[in-house]
Order: sequence, then structure tokens, then C-alpha cells
Amino acid sequence: MNEWTLIEQLKQGDEAAFRTIVDTWQDMVYNTAIGIVQNAEDAEDIAQEVFVQVYQSVSSFKGDSKFSTWLYRITITKSLDHQRRKKRKKRFALVRSLFGEDSEVVIHPPDFNHPGVALDKKEDATTLFKAINNLPENQRVAFTLHKVEGLSYQEVSEVMKTTVSSVESLMHRAKTNLKKNLADYYKEKE
Amino acid sequence: MKQESDIEKRVEDALNSLDGIQRAAPQPWLFSRVKGRLLRQEEKTKWETIGSFLSKPAVAIAGLLLILGLNGVLLFNQQSGSSVVVQNELQPNDSESLLASSSNFDYENLVQP
Repeated sequence: MNEWTLIEQLKQGDEAAFRTIVDTWQDMVYNTAIGIVQNAEDAEDIAQEVFVQVYQSVSSFKGDSKFSTWLYRITITKSLDHQRRKKRKKRFALVRSLFGEDSEVVIHPPDFNHPGVALDKKEDATTLFKAINNLPENQRVAFTLHKVEGLSYQEVSEVMKTTVSSVESLMHRAKTNLKKNLADYYKEKE
Repeated sequence: MKQESDIEKRVEDALNSLDGIQRAAPQPWLFSRVKGRLLRQEEKTKWETIGSFLSKPAVAIAGLLLILGLNGVLLFNQQSGSSVVVQNELQPNDSESLLASSSNFDYENLVQP
């Protein structure tokens, strides 16, 4: 069925259309979210939130961009919001533990393993994801969309509402930062 | 030197580790869980929505400031009103002062004939 027909049907509250939309785009949404938040449970939660928002605000989708672009934007916004909330909570727990209140121990999450990475590259990918996590937000988003979701620079620029040259620059800076970060990590390890 | 080139190779390997990555997929039955979430949200009563809106820090603080402001205005108005009354009480009109002066008589030391 055509994308636009589905959207029109969803605007009229058609449940079958909504089911088709979820089934068609769930992997894309989940993979983007897991690439950013680096946690399977959180990514699942975000994917649900994204589709709830799609259902509730599909009437505001005017078709100026592709439906997938709109979905990517919602997913990225929700993933980044989620990460900011998590970091805030972590900082708050750390401050509380410093003041002896509740003496809550700050738990560091386990290393992230993306399920789509080939077995022989798992260890390297885990190290890379750790480094990606330290990148500034816009570099992280551009890198994830390009490397994890496989979008072209043109597609990344559409999602991020910027120019292709800006994406090129973001990717260049991201790679430079990652190289430095990884080199420091490996030097420390030896 | 060898160590430097070793690290460079490891960095390159890590950077290329996402080549050929497959898309991750969520747990099965995502649609059912989305549907459940939607239903739970719809079940939220009107009062819960109002409650959660009012409990937002920005709204709560704004409401508190508004109440304090209104209290301040009312208090100010009351005070300025009562000061007028006090002023009126302290300045009796002319007829009262006349009466007061006419009744100002020393009965105790009155010389009896």
C-alpha cells in the first residue's frame, strides 16, 4: 500500500493502517534509538513512545518531508531527551551520594553490544560505541544516522534540517574526535 | 614505533567495526505494546491531566507567584483603606469638637455659693 494512503487512513483513525505503519517502520525507529541511547530496553521504550506520538500527531504531518524523515526526527528528539534525563538523574544521584543522602551508588551501565554487529567485530564495536557516547550531540546524531542506519549524507542533512556540507563537516569532526578518543583509550589500556 | 602503529591499526579497526552492520529489531509484538500504551494514556482522566499540568514546576511556581501577588495587592488596598478610616477617626468634625469643648467643665472644683 502507498505511504500516503496509509497516512491518510491513519489520520481517519484506521487501526489497520496504524498496524501496517508500526510493522513497516519499527526496525528503523528501534535501530536509530538503540544507536543513540545504547540500551535495548530504553530503545524499546522510545520506539513505543515514537509510535504513540505518530498516532496522536499524524494530523500535523503535512507531507513537506518524507514520512521516514519525520519519523527519524521524532525518534532522535525522543532519544536525546531520554539520554539527557538519564544523565540528569545520574548527576543528581552522584551529588546525593556525595552528601551521604540515601548513599545511593551510581551504577555504570554495562558495555553496549549492538546486536547487528558481526561477531568478529563485537569488541571493536563496543569500544567505538563507548567513544561515540562522548561525542557532542549533533556529531553523535550524524555519525549514528550515517554509520548505524546507513543513511547517505543527503538523507542525514534532510533529517537534521541542515546542508550536506554541514553534515560533511560534522562527520569529519566526529571522526577526528573518535580517533583521538580511541587512541587515548588504547594507550591507557597498554 | 611499533606500539604507535599498533594503536593506529586498532583505532582504524574500531572505526570500521560498524561496516556491514545489520539493523537491530525490537522484541516481537511491538504493535500490541504500543496499543496498550495508547489505551493507558486515553484512560487518564481529565483530572489527572489537570493535576499533572498543575504539578509541573513552572506552572506551580507561576501559580504561587500569582497568589502571592494577588495577596499583596489585596493587603495593600486594605491598608490604604483603613488608614483613611483612622484619619477620619482622629479628626472629629467641628460639631463634635464644639460639644467636647462645651462639656469640658470642672465639676470637682466648682465653687459652691
